[in-house]
Amino acid sequence: MSTTGDSAQHISGAAESGKECADWQALLERIPYARHLGLEVQRGDAGVLVHLPCREALIGNFMLPALHGGVLGALIELTARVAAQSQDTETRCPRILDSHINYLRSAQARSTFARADIIRQGRRTSLVQVTCWQGDENKPIATGQVQLLLPTMAAQQEDRHGH
Amino acid sequence: MQVVSVDQGQVCMRLTPQSWMFAQEDTKEICTSVLYSLADSAGGLAVFAGALELMPIATLDLRMDYLRPASGDQALLAVATCRHLTDEVAFIHCDILSEGNRELLATANATFMRNTQGQQFHAGGRGKESA
Repeated sequence: MSTTGDSAQHISGAAESGKECADWQALLERIPYARHLGLEVQRGDAGVLVHLPCREALIGNFMLPALHGGVLGALIELTARVAAQSQDTETRCPRILDSHINYLRSAQARSTFARADIIRQGRRTSLVQVTCWQGDENKPIATGQVQLLLPTMAAQQEDRHGH
Repeated sequence: MQVVSVDQGQVCMRLTPQSWMFAQEDTKEICTSVLYSLADSAGGLAVFAGALELMPIATLDLRMDYLRPASGDQALLAVATCRHLTDEVAFIHCDILSEGNRELLATANATFMRNTQGQQFHAGGRGKESA
């Protein structure tokens, strides 16, 4: 994962990148829907990637065939959530507030990758930009911006008792 | 996902939660991405309902606002409306509600491109289906 803006942090060394991969994988595995989609964490040239292996159940249009737009939406939202959570010093579980996804090219029935760039990691919110591609990283098939809320301790406790 | 009703320009779809749709192990909250998929599917169907014809379509963009957590105890309802239709583009609004108390859980605004490249639909053929 790469970070942009004034809070830029550069991952140095393969060991750190390996640890980051393990952290992301652990966070993803805690999400039942991410397990259902079969999301996997990989180490890419520029940081951590999330890989969505293709299978028939994920196809939305059998005529083309193409991946379902909602599956790409899930890849983007879950990548953003894990990126924001892994950056948070308290590893609070973020709540997704909104997401805006642009579909740039047809998503073929093949492996898809996602990369997260944190635009801003604030005290209470995080804005993450996610880029998805298939064969060529320079030809993205979709990009999305996801706004997440990092709950305060008081809100977390209320959540636990309230529901 | 089930289609509950299709009227001119409006579609209602229903989704029964399953444990694999949850966002966390310890709470029964449905993952926002499931609501996203439901909105995309209902939105696509609303394009056909608005245009009264089956043509290949593609989602251009979709913006979701998640107002409340979606409890896994209740089925989800998606009501998608075709707000405006041009020869090339369809503008869709979709509300996601919980079935029991009719609470608004999320809203979506989407733009779909109409008559995109791809094979034409045939009667009885498979169109835009849900994952």
